[in-house]
Formats: sequence, C-alpha cells, structure tokens
Amino acid sequence: MFKNYLKIAWRNLVKDKTNTSLNVIGLSVAFAVAVLLGMAALFQLSFDGFHENGASIYKIVKTQQTPRGPEAGTVQPAPLAPSLEAEVPGVKRITRFLQDGALAIQGDKEIDIDIIWVDEGFFSMFSFPIIKGDGNTPLAQLSSVVLTKKAANNLFGSTDVVGKTFHLLVKGKEVPFTVSAIADDMVAETNLEFQMAGRFESHADYLDNKEQWDSQYHDVYVELEEGVSSTSFESGSRGFVDLHFKDAIEMLKRDGASADENGRYVNLELVPLADVHFTSLKNGYVSVSRSLPYLILGVAFLILFIACVNYINMSIAKSAKRLKEIGMRKTLGAQKKQLFFQFWTESLFIFLISMGIGVILSFVFVNDFKTIFNTQVSVDMLLRPSFLVGLLAMVMLITVFVGGYPAILMSRLGTIQSLKGKLESTGNNKVRDVLMVFQFGIAIALITGTLVLWGQIDYMRNKDLGYDKEQVVSFPLNGKRNSNDVIELLREELKGNPDIVSISGADINLGLGRDGSRSSSKIGFEYKGRSVTTNFLVVDHEFVQTLGIDMVLGRNFKNASDSLGVVINEAMARELGEEDPLSAQLEISNGVHIPVLGVVKDYNFKDLDRAIEPITFYMSKEWGLSYAFAKVAPHNMASSYEALENTWKKLEPNAAFLGSFLDENVDRTFNREKTTAKMVASGSVLSIILSCMGLFAMSLLIVSQRTKEIGIRKVVGASVASITYILTKDFLKLVLLAFLIASPVAWWIMGEWLQNYAYRIELSIWFFVAAGAIAVLIALLTIGTRTIRAARVNPVKSLRTE
Amino acid sequence: MLLQLKNIFKWVNTGGQRIFLLKDINLEVEEGEFISIMGPSGSGKSTLLNVIGMLDTFDEGEYHFLDESVHTLKEKYRSNLYKEYIGFVFQSYHLLDDLTVAENLEMPLLYKKVKGSERKALVADILDRFNIVGKKDLFPSQLSGGQQQLVGVARALIASPKLILADEPTGNLNSQQSEEIMELFKKLNKENGVTIIQVTHSEKNAAYGSRIINLLDGRKV
Repeated sequence: MFKNYLKIAWRNLVKDKTNTSLNVIGLSVAFAVAVLLGMAALFQLSFDGFHENGASIYKIVKTQQTPRGPEAGTVQPAPLAPSLEAEVPGVKRITRFLQDGALAIQGDKEIDIDIIWVDEGFFSMFSFPIIKGDGNTPLAQLSSVVLTKKAANNLFGSTDVVGKTFHLLVKGKEVPFTVSAIADDMVAETNLEFQMAGRFESHADYLDNKEQWDSQYHDVYVELEEGVSSTSFESGSRGFVDLHFKDAIEMLKRDGASADENGRYVNLELVPLADVHFTSLKNGYVSVSRSLPYLILGVAFLILFIACVNYINMSIAKSAKRLKEIGMRKTLGAQKKQLFFQFWTESLFIFLISMGIGVILSFVFVNDFKTIFNTQVSVDMLLRPSFLVGLLAMVMLITVFVGGYPAILMSRLGTIQSLKGKLESTGNNKVRDVLMVFQFGIAIALITGTLVLWGQIDYMRNKDLGYDKEQVVSFPLNGKRNSNDVIELLREELKGNPDIVSISGADINLGLGRDGSRSSSKIGFEYKGRSVTTNFLVVDHEFVQTLGIDMVLGRNFKNASDSLGVVINEAMARELGEEDPLSAQLEISNGVHIPVLGVVKDYNFKDLDRAIEPITFYMSKEWGLSYAFAKVAPHNMASSYEALENTWKKLEPNAAFLGSFLDENVDRTFNREKTTAKMVASGSVLSIILSCMGLFAMSLLIVSQRTKEIGIRKVVGASVASITYILTKDFLKLVLLAFLIASPVAWWIMGEWLQNYAYRIELSIWFFVAAGAIAVLIALLTIGTRTIRAARVNPVKSLRTE
Repeated sequence: MLLQLKNIFKWVNTGGQRIFLLKDINLEVEEGEFISIMGPSGSGKSTLLNVIGMLDTFDEGEYHFLDESVHTLKEKYRSNLYKEYIGFVFQSYHLLDDLTVAENLEMPLLYKKVKGSERKALVADILDRFNIVGKKDLFPSQLSGGQQQLVGVARALIASPKLILADEPTGNLNSQQSEEIMELFKKLNKENGVTIIQVTHSEKNAAYGSRIINLLDGRKV
C-alpha cells in the first residue's frame, strides 16, 4: 500500500513539473536558510553552555542606588572575592577574572597575547580541558600559567612545553612565567576566551589594589555549593556588603540617594553563567535579553512559514485536479484515514526531499554565511546528532500540519461529489486568503524592518559625533617603548611630513579598533560635599586639536608639562553645577586640588545608544597612554596612512601596526546592527521572493480555473484591461490588507527597537509606504504577465477547452 | 435475497421548495438477477444506483443489504460492506491516469488488504481472463475507450463481488464496443452468477437484463 502511495505521489509530482519545482525550490531554500539562521541563533544561545558546573556558576554584579538612580556594574575590587569566600556561606569556589593583553617574549619571538588573570580554582570551575601537564591544579604556583595549544604553537612552535619558561613585558620589565599545562583550543561559544591564563596575584596592579575596596577593575565569578540558591546567597551577602561598603553607603545616603524596596543602598546580585552573554546593564539595572538570537530564530521560522503556506495553498488548489482519484479510491473502499495517510505521505515525501536539499545547500553556503553575517557557526554543529534529530522532528511536525490540512480537506470530500469533479470551495478560499495575507504581512513587516534598520545605521554612520572621525587614524601602542616617549618620537619622526597634521595619544580608543579591544574607566570623587562621577581619559596635550573637538570655555593643555589641570566636557560642567566651571577645583586624588583649565563641547565618546556622559581629560606620565591618534590632511590619506605605518614599524619593529581611521572604528561598533540588518534584509528578500513564488503559482491555477469565465466575458465584450483588472484585483486586495495589518505591528516593534538608542531616527510614515509600495509592485509584476496573457487569449480558444 | 429497498425517499431543498430525487422506491433484488434501470434524464437513475451502491445517502426509508440494515450503519462499516460485496463500473471509466493497467487492477485489493503474492496472482488471473495481458503495463491514456472500459469492468470484478453496479457503462463507447461489454456482462451473469444492476438509455442494452425498472421524476413506473 505504501509503495502504491509513493508511486502515485512520484508520478503526480513528475507530471506537474512547474508546481513541484516551485514547491521543492521554495522549501529547500527555506530549509537551508532556516538551518543556517537556526545555527547562528543556537550558537548565540549556547554561549558558555558547555561548562559542567555551569548551572551553579554566577557572575557577580554590584548594584547601588545613587542620587541619579540605580547603577549596576560588573567590575569589583580585588579583596571582594577572597573576603566573600571567607565570610559568606555557600561559596564552593570563586575566581576573579581580568582580561588583559601583553607582549610575550620567548627567544627572539615577540607576540601579543590575550591573557586572563584568574584565581587558582578557575580550571576546576570552568570546563576548559587540559590536554597536557597538570590537569588538576595547573595554577597552584603564582608563576604558573596555562597556554592554549595555539598560543603554545605560536610562541614555542610546539605543545611539548610544560615546564618551560617565557617572559611577559609588564610595565616595561620582562617578568618570567612557567608553563604548567596546555589547554585545548577554545570553542567559539565562550566569553571567557584566553590564550594564556595566569594567577590573579601575579597581575601587575595586584599589590597596589590588594586591600583597596574602592578600586574596581575586574569581574568575579562564583560557584555556589549544591543546594544554595542565588537568592539565598544574595540575601546572605547583605551583612557582608554592609560591613565592607560601609563608607560608600554612608556617602550615598548623604548625597540623597533613595533606598531600593528592601531599604538597601548597595547589593550584590548574581547573574547565571548562561545569561552572562545576554546581559546588559541598562538604566542601572541588570537586564538579560535574548532578543537578538530569538529575532534570528523568528526570521528563520517566518521564512519556513511562508514556504509552508505556499505548499498548503498549492496543494489545496491542485486538489481540484485530483478529485476523480479521490472519488474513485472511495468507491474502491478507501477510508478517510487511508486517504489522509496517502496525501500526508506525499507531503512528507516532498518535505524530506526539500530538507535534504536544504541541508546540502546550507553545507555549501555555510562559509559564505559565516563571512557575510560575521558569525562563527561551524559545520560540526550541523552534524551533531541532536541537531539532526531536532531538524527531522521539526520536519515531521511541520508536515503533520502543512501536509495534514490539505489531506483532511481532500479526504473529507463526498464520494459522488468528487467523482463529478466539482469542488465546493468557498471555505477553502478563505483559508487561502488568510494565509496569503499572513505571508505578505510578514514580507512587508520584514521590508519595513530592513528600511528602518538601514535608516538608523545610516544615521549613526553620518551623525556628527563632535569630533573629526574621517581624518584621524588611531592605532594601539602595542610595542615595548614607554607610551609617552613613543608619542614624542612619532611627532619627531613625522614632523617633516606635511600630510600628518598632528599626533596625540590617549588611554582609551574611540570606537572599536582593529585590536578588537574596548575599555572604559570612571572615577568618583567628592566635590563640595557630594560625590561626582566622571569618565576619565588620560590624554596627551594635543588630544583636543588632533581630534578636532571644539573648545567652549577656557583653554586646552599648552604643552606636555601643563599637567596641573584638567579639561572637562559640557556634561561634566553641568555635573559640577558651577556658574563658572573654570573656577572649579577637582580633588581627584586625596588632598590634591586640580583646577579646570577648559571646557570642550560634548562629543560622543561612547556608542550612540548612550547619551553623552561627563568626561575629564587628564595628563599623567605615570598612567600611560594606550592609543596614538594622528590627524592627517584630507588629501593623500592612503599615503599618510602608509607613512604612519612605516614610522611605527621603524620605532617598534616587532609590534604589529593595527591602525584604522576613526570612522571605520565607529562603523565597527555597530557591527551587531549591521549583522542584524543583513539578516533581516536577506530575510525580507527571501520572504518576498517566496511569497511571490506562491502568488505566481496561485495565479497560474486561478487563471486556468477561470479560463471559461474569461472566454465568456470576452465574448460579451470585455476589454483586455478590464479582464486583467478583474484577475489582479483579488490578489491586490490581499496585499493591501496585509499592508494594513503589518504596518502597525512593524511600527510598534521598530519603535521599541529604536528606544535602545539615545540617538535615533524618527519613524517616518515613508518607511511604511515604501515597504508597502515595494510589496505591491513586486506582487503586480508577478501576477501581471500571466493575467495579461490570459486576458489576451482568443475567446474561441478558451471556451473550447471546456 | 441480496438487497431490499423499502419506501426510500431522497430530496433536496432549494429556494424553500422540496424537490424529490427519489420518491417512495421499493425494490427487491435476488442474487443472480440482471436488472436494467431506465428513464429519461433527471429521472433519478444514477441517484438510485448510488444509493444502492451506498455512495449516496437517502433521507427516509430502509435499506437492507444481505443481513445488514444499511441505513443504520456508520460510514466506516458501510465502506467495509461495499468494498467487500460491490464493484462499480462508470460511464467515463474512472481509471487512475497515473497508474498502469495492472496497478489500476491491483488497487481494490490494496484497500481490502490482500497479501502481495495473492494480489499478483489475482491480477495475473484477471488479465488473462480479459485477454489484456499484453496491455498490463500501459497507462489508461494509451488505450481505446472500449479497452479502458474493459479494464474498468475487470477492476470491478477482481475482488469477486456479489453485485456489480454499472452507470451507463457503454455511454462513451461505439456500438461494437458496447456490444462486447454487454456480452461480457451477460456472460458474467450467466456463468459466474454475479448480480448486475445497470443504468442505461438504450433499449438494446436493457434487453440484456432479466428485468427492467422504469423511473420517472424519482418514481418507479
């Protein structure tokens, strides 16, 4: 019997090649896209999911109620972790976690290496497999480090290096470290990535900060004992917080902060490890949002849905041709159940073929996908049995609905009725119409989303940030020399080059440079009896003019020794609340009062999703600079860049030149938006193509069903135009209805999304009109050719077919 | 007695009016009979045949087939009943275009859940009996009308039914083909004892039967 079904199914498919190929192509593409997007989303969702103890590991977040509202931060003071372990019950293991980079030196090799500084228990808490050396306590010694396989190969050219020694350049000095173990290379799905792991106590700043509760510079991860919940730990830590943050709490009270609902000013909160990747500290609260991966999954499902709707509509429309078969089978004794099973088998058949092709397609395109969408999914993921089983289960489930619905419709028909070949199809058309409205609604919503995303990205790219981003190159000072000296040397070397306008430095980059690292630093101090917080930037004296930031008041630093003053921005001036900000004296370190020399205009030194915060520029030889900024003339920018690179190579022959223009840096900061835009854009293109494929197939069928009507209308004198209008208007009505439904939904979603940005575009009506117009136009083109052709056929011909 | 219809009524309501398709039909059919139903277009011949074949329902009356009361049966049992005992032959043959002759013949057996080897034997047997062995791998569209109807009859017979219902079996055939089919029916009736009820317009074909039932406006006359 089953063989018979397959035979019939196969012959039916072969007979109707247009329909079959439209269905198979549509479904295969949809499956391929769904698989790729699904992988991308699962990749995101599986971040740090591989740690065996993951369920009981948390990241510690400190929240405090300030006069300006709540503030949350993940960075902690050095004594917090050991004190927590000693004083609060329920801690199984705890580790500090500080990401850092340094120059590793081994023989004549000098390599920049990504380092994490952690506590002894790190490798017991997290599942980073050790493949060589001491697997249990690799960080028992203060001078021990763990290298990854790749790092060992880079540094030593071999992984048999357990026990060997190399040097790190720390504050200008070479410090020896011994390799105690080799870890396997990192999987991509982790936020704890490293090339080298060393003991936190060996970090250069440790001794200064060992007992400092007010200097916060690293993360803390805690593993709770079995049976201890995060809430019980949080409430258990209250006494601890009151003891160690007593001064801070007193100050918050004094400044007029209001306590939270539990009457508390400072709290420690735990964020589960699985949530860390999705955590942002928005508006002072810890918020966990997985909306991006779910958005991607959503797009994948929408595309699958559209392809499935095509399949349903086509099989219902096609069923008219198979009425005779259904009737005949019934007179031969087929039961509803058997007919249902037969038609369901056919669907299953098509879906399995399409899924197969889809998986092959996704294999073929996975590399392009990775580069275009900037994701690190791998083919291995496709081959995981759980993924394949899940996929297969999903296909089965889809066919139950998608194949089942037409199957039920067909098997329910009366015997005599179907033998006569007549289909009472008023109800079916409603279902078809609803499905098509859905399809086009999705397509229109996605097109709108794409337009809005592009609009926002374009806005962010072109917004005046308050500094010159087109003509300034920044590069990390990743060499051996002292940073202030190297800036002077650069100035000296490039003095003769007319294309290099000026050179300066700072300890924090603008945007995201090619070194891929970002940081921010804040300080708080007392000012006239209340505490003031500001971003803090160590600069070189030519920073303001090199970046082209406008001065509003006062003066800039004059020269390298003009370090007895600070320059602040307007936001900081407002924060100080002085009528004349130049009269303010800031007590940045205890007992020393530093005057404000000048005020610069506000500029966006952080991403555009935030409002401009207070910032203070400070010059200090001992704190050092990390990035050089060079302003170049507007012409010959490529050769200027080359000149910078050559000079850098000359000064630091072993360090890589990672320079890039600031506009590229800024562009890089919205990589996430660009990736999202690309995904939504490709989703909308696909969905409109798939919807139109369905529309095309439907118009073919409708035209063939209405051949007689068209003939009769022509005989009684209808024109080609009026017939085309009659055939087209039903479909156009659906597209317009879809537009009316989709637009408010898109309006709401995009409005919510734009709320994430402090600087954003207005949602103008034109985004929606444009999306609707695109959809209508494409739909018209799709059905137009067929309907015009049908309308032009000689009526004698169309009537004869009856 | 093979089947018995008692006071069968069937109607449709259109525009507030009740139009009778079948009106007070009483009919008894013994095994081995060959009955022709005649009447003008719209007199209810096909409807009566469909009611007898259990493909169509009726609104009033009783229908007994063998020992079963058809009017009380659920659809599933009805379909089991006609699958077992009734074969259908149609004016337009109703062969499945996508299946070969042999596969078309095999289909009723599939629904009766006959085993594979037995199915093959039965199909081979009937192909042989109808002299169409050479055509077994052809598709219906490759056969003439007469040949298609031959296959239609063979398909109706393959499951050895007690009753064959034929709705104008020769309506689409020329006179020579008609005669062949009617001869075949006669032979089946005489030699194999199969009961046959046919609907026909032609006096000549009706004459093959042992009894003629005339219908007019849904009534027996």
